[in-house]
Amino acid sequence: MLFLNYWHLFVTGAWVTIWTSTVAFAIGLVLGTLFALARRSRFRVLRLIGTVYVEILRNTPALVQIFIAYFGFASLGFRLPALLAGITALGVNAGAYLAEIIRAGIASVPPGQLEAARTLGLSPVQTFFSVVLPQATRTVFPPVVNQYVETILGSSLLSAISVQELTAEARIVNSITYETLAIFAFAMIFYLILTNLVSFAAAMFSRSFFKPRIATSYKFSIRGSRQLRTGGGRA
Amino acid sequence: MIVEVTDVHKRFGDNEVLKGVSVSVEIGEVIAIIGASGSGKSTLLRAINGLETIDDGEILVNGVEVHDRRSAHKVHQHVGMVFQQFNLFPHLTALDNASLALRKVKKMSTARANEVAMAALTRVGLADKAKSYPQSLSGGQQQRVAIARALAMQPQVMLFDEATSALDPELVGEVTKVMRELAAEGMTMLVVTHEMGFARETADRVLFFDNGVIGEEGSPERLFTAPENPRLQQFLRRILEK
Amino acid sequence: MSDWQHIWDARGLLLSGLLATLALVAGSIMTSTILGFVVGFLRYRRIPVVNVVLRVYLEIFRGTPLLVQLLFIYFGAAYLRLDWVTVFIASLVGMTLFNGAYISEIFRGGFEAVPTGQREAATTLGLSRFHITKDVVFPQTLPVVLPPLFSQYLQLIKNTSLASVISYFDIVRQGQAIIDQGANSFDVYLVVAIMFFVISYPLSLLARALEKRIVTRRERVA
Repeated sequence: MLFLNYWHLFVTGAWVTIWTSTVAFAIGLVLGTLFALARRSRFRVLRLIGTVYVEILRNTPALVQIFIAYFGFASLGFRLPALLAGITALGVNAGAYLAEIIRAGIASVPPGQLEAARTLGLSPVQTFFSVVLPQATRTVFPPVVNQYVETILGSSLLSAISVQELTAEARIVNSITYETLAIFAFAMIFYLILTNLVSFAAAMFSRSFFKPRIATSYKFSIRGSRQLRTGGGRA
Repeated sequence: MIVEVTDVHKRFGDNEVLKGVSVSVEIGEVIAIIGASGSGKSTLLRAINGLETIDDGEILVNGVEVHDRRSAHKVHQHVGMVFQQFNLFPHLTALDNASLALRKVKKMSTARANEVAMAALTRVGLADKAKSYPQSLSGGQQQRVAIARALAMQPQVMLFDEATSALDPELVGEVTKVMRELAAEGMTMLVVTHEMGFARETADRVLFFDNGVIGEEGSPERLFTAPENPRLQQFLRRILEK
Repeated sequence: MSDWQHIWDARGLLLSGLLATLALVAGSIMTSTILGFVVGFLRYRRIPVVNVVLRVYLEIFRGTPLLVQLLFIYFGAAYLRLDWVTVFIASLVGMTLFNGAYISEIFRGGFEAVPTGQREAATTLGLSRFHITKDVVFPQTLPVVLPPLFSQYLQLIKNTSLASVISYFDIVRQGQAIIDQGANSFDVYLVVAIMFFVISYPLSLLARALEKRIVTRRERVA
């Protein structure tokens, strides 16, 4: 159990994982919202730009996107620091998935309600904030949380461009003590704790914030299977 | 006695739904079971063919103990059931719905099974819909296919669990017509229903279920014109007010 | 920089990388689907002890990154002195376990989507548990399961790129080899990305068309 002497490396790695994922996710949320609105725009050019962004990023591997941001841009003369390149790539990737989620969420609000709002005299802006936003938020909350978890897991790819997050630290410790199975299992436990914390926090938040309740079940619920973590399985 | 229910108790969690129910059914009898929602009517029906377990008491069908695991499977061959939600198999045509059990349980050849199934469909008036899928049939037609499916197995007893409750009013008639024809042919039937007209005209005996026990029991004429149980009187008044 | 010439000259490497990727994709699809089906079915049946074990499996393989799983398997095998474990085998095992976990939930959802009432009707008709599963549940599971399954396969195709990190010579790894020979990183990775896009995008359109057909057919059932 020699590797436990290096526990602080795991902790710093985990911290890097957490903050890089969070920043990337925040970038993704902003981009996702913008491109979701673009895809719903009246202007065909905006819709096209949105579609191109989403389709390109969702049909190519995140790893390759990260390599392009770091190695690729460097070879063109834009030598970006690994952290910057990595977080940006991760964020842009997350943004594409979030754009789809948000777009679907907005579209899920029944058009009949928009008509009703109009007949009541609400302006488009008022309709958006009072009718569309509350409902769309409830719909997108579970998949958005899921995307955050995916981003945390996806941050492991940053180890391939020498960002010292959890996976990279695990590999380093492995090259010191060679207790491979224990070390990587230990890293996996860290990830499990992180992802479960996020799911749990999200479930708690939604329970108190969303009234009436929306269907987010965490492990402690009767059914047991985390509905927040269905579709996914991206690297 | 083809069905014998003796002092049956059933609870769901803390809630005792059947509190000592006893009924004997003779061959050819048509029994209508009425009562408020939650009074235990459906539970009794489902207990008779083993869809629900019982906590106490005994149920015999054709002499076979329903809740004895060893003999339970024989019960399904004697007892057919029609559900409120039809429960037709959507991936099969009407004919295949009716013939599936014949092929898999009675091990009939496809040709023979189709013959028997077609006969059942003809009996309910849907021979022309044999190749149709449930989704293209109306509610009344679907329920009639469900009846045919159960009949194809040639059961001795037919259970109807609120067979018309999920149907639009104008479709109820075609299903009750089939049920009346079956009764006239001598089928033993237990019918949980809200259709008081059917109960009055077709049933030999009516059971009024009240909170897990049989509140009153007797011929339809007597129960509907001179009910003794005050809860039954209340129940009938509320029904008639509609 | 006329590096495109360089890349064109190295097209043999890219082709071999493509074949390696496709081999891993094909193998993983088969193995993970089989595993996912079995696990999904077992979870649907809720067999006491087995269920707990499977939930642990799901927890681990859905709650940790694929990359870490691959590293664990490949370097773990070396640690255990299992010399016969090649990068392909390690990648295949990792992909199977990872995708299998997600696929099992897809199948489980498909099995559970069949209404209880139909199983009751089948029981009442006297059908044995075997026949109920085979003739009533399974046939209805397929259309429910196809769209998310397809979706997962598309993810799987992209996921294979991670095998490059443990030096499986797929498209990405071959691309890196070409870069090592002196080609421009940006151009090479762009070509790699385009190759993935060309494989993935048409399939994703197909998947969406398929989903629409199935959804409209199911809506007529309801």
